[in-house]
Amino acid sequence: MSEEHQPRREEDAKEFAEEQASLFKITFGPLIWAVHFVVCYGLVAVTCAKGWDIFATRLGLVLLSALALGGIGWVGWSAWRQWNPSRTGDPMNRGSRAEDRHHFLGHAAFLLSIISLIGVVFVSMPLILIGGCQ
Amino acid sequence: MTVRETGLPRPEGPYPPTEAMLAEPVPEDVAKAQAERLRAAWAPPTGWRYWTAVNNTKVGKWYCLTALVFMLLAGVMALIIRLQLAVPENDLVSADRFNQLFTMHGSAMMFLFAVPMFEAISILLLPGLLGARDMPFPRLSAFGYWCFLIGGVFVIGSIFFDAAPRAGWFMYPPLATKDDGPGSDIWLLGLSFIEIASIAAAVELIVGSLKCRPPGMRVNIMPLYAWYVLVVGGMILFAFPPLIAGDFLFELERSFDWPFFDPERGGDPMLWQHLFWIFGHPEVYIVFLPSIAIAAMIVPTVARRPIFGYSWIVLSAVGTGFLSFGLWVHHMFTTGLPSISLGFFSAASEAVVIPTGIQIFAFLATLMAGRVKMTLPMLWISGALAIFTMGGLTGVMLALAPFDFQAHDTYFIVAHLHYTLFGGMVFPVIAGVYYFYPFFRKKLMSERLGRWAFWLIFTGFNLCFLPMHLTGLWGMPRRIYTYPTGLGWDGLNLISTLGAFVVAAGFAIFVWDLIRPKGGQPQIPRNPWDAGTLEWTHDVPEEVWGVRSIPHVTTRYPLWDQPGMQGRMDAGGFYLPDAREGKREILITSVIDAEPVQVQRVSGPTWITHLAAGFTGGAFIFPTFHWYPPAIACGVLAICCIIWWLWTSTARPPETDIKDVGLDLKLPTYAAGPASTGWWAMWITMLGDATAFASLIFGFFFYWTASPDFPPEGAVHAASGLIGLAAVGFAATWALTVGGRRLNRVQAVGAARACLAFAPLMAAGGASALIGSVWPLEPSAHVYPAVLWALAIWVAAHCGVGGIMQLYCLAGSLFGKLTPRYDADIWNVSLYWHFVTIAALVTCAVLGLAPGAL
Repeated sequence: MSEEHQPRREEDAKEFAEEQASLFKITFGPLIWAVHFVVCYGLVAVTCAKGWDIFATRLGLVLLSALALGGIGWVGWSAWRQWNPSRTGDPMNRGSRAEDRHHFLGHAAFLLSIISLIGVVFVSMPLILIGGCQ
Repeated sequence: MTVRETGLPRPEGPYPPTEAMLAEPVPEDVAKAQAERLRAAWAPPTGWRYWTAVNNTKVGKWYCLTALVFMLLAGVMALIIRLQLAVPENDLVSADRFNQLFTMHGSAMMFLFAVPMFEAISILLLPGLLGARDMPFPRLSAFGYWCFLIGGVFVIGSIFFDAAPRAGWFMYPPLATKDDGPGSDIWLLGLSFIEIASIAAAVELIVGSLKCRPPGMRVNIMPLYAWYVLVVGGMILFAFPPLIAGDFLFELERSFDWPFFDPERGGDPMLWQHLFWIFGHPEVYIVFLPSIAIAAMIVPTVARRPIFGYSWIVLSAVGTGFLSFGLWVHHMFTTGLPSISLGFFSAASEAVVIPTGIQIFAFLATLMAGRVKMTLPMLWISGALAIFTMGGLTGVMLALAPFDFQAHDTYFIVAHLHYTLFGGMVFPVIAGVYYFYPFFRKKLMSERLGRWAFWLIFTGFNLCFLPMHLTGLWGMPRRIYTYPTGLGWDGLNLISTLGAFVVAAGFAIFVWDLIRPKGGQPQIPRNPWDAGTLEWTHDVPEEVWGVRSIPHVTTRYPLWDQPGMQGRMDAGGFYLPDAREGKREILITSVIDAEPVQVQRVSGPTWITHLAAGFTGGAFIFPTFHWYPPAIACGVLAICCIIWWLWTSTARPPETDIKDVGLDLKLPTYAAGPASTGWWAMWITMLGDATAFASLIFGFFFYWTASPDFPPEGAVHAASGLIGLAAVGFAATWALTVGGRRLNRVQAVGAARACLAFAPLMAAGGASALIGSVWPLEPSAHVYPAVLWALAIWVAAHCGVGGIMQLYCLAGSLFGKLTPRYDADIWNVSLYWHFVTIAALVTCAVLGLAPGAL
């Protein structure tokens, strides 16, 4: 990003669409956590209630957890590139330019993906540590 | 986007304002005339019409005071409970009265104090924090307040007639479903009514913080309080609807004996526990986050430096918001769920500690890096942090399922929850009262009384609740009205009771200080704490307009970092300094970067909100006593009031399309679709509605999971032919609504009217076919027909409301309120139908396909 300028109309719309996406992007990490959580809980509940093979369910869910971690990792990586203080020299993002807001949203998305990563790791642990439906 | 096709103008003129423009003075006589007009436009009514006011400063104050009164009443109940438990074998109150007292204490503190207090404080403060004139929908705030008042008085009043609910604040069936007397119905209907008011407030607050920020206030510099409001508003939308769905099922069981929670007929009491706690656990954070948001405003002020780790606090607010939805089963650890399931919730309960801890460390870091002045608000914040941390630590213990098995339903839990709620809510809110008192009352509270109140409440609190950990570990269960002597509980209970009265003494001092006359006090300084945020640009003595002119904000602490801003605001040198037509107007800005996009008219004083709230109240309160005809009459009248209110004061075609808002900027006066606040409000409301619907669907599949014969062998299923017909009807009404919107846009007004005339017929046809498909089923026989009926009723009721909306648009088109150019109403109605159509088709799929598939 260079210095501020008055954008042309289409450019304006495009930039806005990007930022709208990046406002949603701060929720991507937690959303992946939430989906992972609901699937884990729901599938285990049904498996135990209906007497399905709990081992297969656990295995599948561990794979899902790996997938979730990968997804969050990707969100975190792209957010890091949006924020990266060593490149932008701006860890605090308290300025008033469009660019500050852009870095801030990257920063928030990055931090949220870390917390989501921890959340997914925590929630996957029972899958590995607890044997069955008892 | 198709919004611009109507040829509505776009903003014109320079933005952002240049330094040169800002340096230009405003002529004094012009400023004076503007101020006169502005004052007249925003003047609240006087005399007995005072109560028709809708200004956020008035409604917010009433709201806060009402919540405070309910809190004090619930506090008195707590004192009676403590008196009863002070000594063993006590007979101060009967067992039944005791049950009513603890049920009402919990229910009132949560539903009539904690959540409404957040809404009340936010309605009072948010416009100030954002340099806005008012909330985007002032009448909605007022309507919410009057609903809250009516519902609250009804619920809490029941205790004076010995008719209060008595099954505990979470109303577990079968105790609550089998309870004779109106207690459970009062709880269900009264609180459902208040929950709807809560959702209304959430919609208003979300739209307020997204669309009513001052120009230039991008998301990265908005006050942290606004971030918290956004998060909490979002949480309310996902947390309250499951409870509303649960209440719906519960009331159908109470009133018509549909066996949703009765295991003898296939029901399952666990479903209520799930729905209640999917609401109940996030609710704890709904209460906690806004209170900690108050701390996030106070801490930088007393540390005299910007908050440390702004992004980290945003992370912790958003992260806590999400994680708090993964905790609900930790209230159900002893219900016999599979241990892996318990493991998930235990893990998530431990994970939520991380974001919660981060924000506390961010506050501590700010305090350490700053030069702290130990003001009264800071004293209360310190107390809050100390108490909340202790509650958090016992929370970490209780999140471990094996520990919880031991402590479940003992006084250890009572101690834990009071530590989190006092530390996480009561103390920060009191800190906020001291801190913001000069803002909303233009007076200062007493330093000396404040310190007395603090030390009494702080020591009294610990005296009362610290011993309870031990009482609990020594085995005393919750909710017993008395206990035999010699179990080692006697002394601890007596200490707790003494502590409770010390807390009460502290509150007496606090409340006295709050309400005592302060006429003799000299005029306070405008910014008594030397804070940096916008609310301290308020006028002393009070002015009615919120802000004289709406500033261009480029920093997180404008009063510290934008010298000269205050002077320019006062001179009317920023945006919207005038009310040329004598009407109330607010500035609408874009969601992310807060670029000015629209001037919106907002409504003024009225009685219609009282009428609407009164009739809505009737529709909820009469069914408590099984008086259905007056309830239906009230429901119809409430709808009539709301239609009249919307018709006369929302989305009217403006006199001019564009107007000057100051600093050479011209903004459009009308918006439709995603550019308008109304569309956002509809979107947010429907998100909540969709969550409630999803909870019902969850219920259906829950029965399938939990019971081996669902649907039962040989059950009568819904008639598939009629379901198919219903699906066609729903698809047709959707297509006609959306088609009507498009045709109207391209000037084909006649065709659009035809669409809008046929659409309600199709909606009615679809709804009738759906009801017809379940008609032969006997809902009180088994839970399977009951849940199908419940889904059909849900969809049919939504079709009814949707049909009224379509006819409203048709009438709008016929009478010139809705034109090809000014078509906001039909945009909102189409949005409603997008959601309802999805819900209706999902219902058709579940009714028609699930019996074969399961």
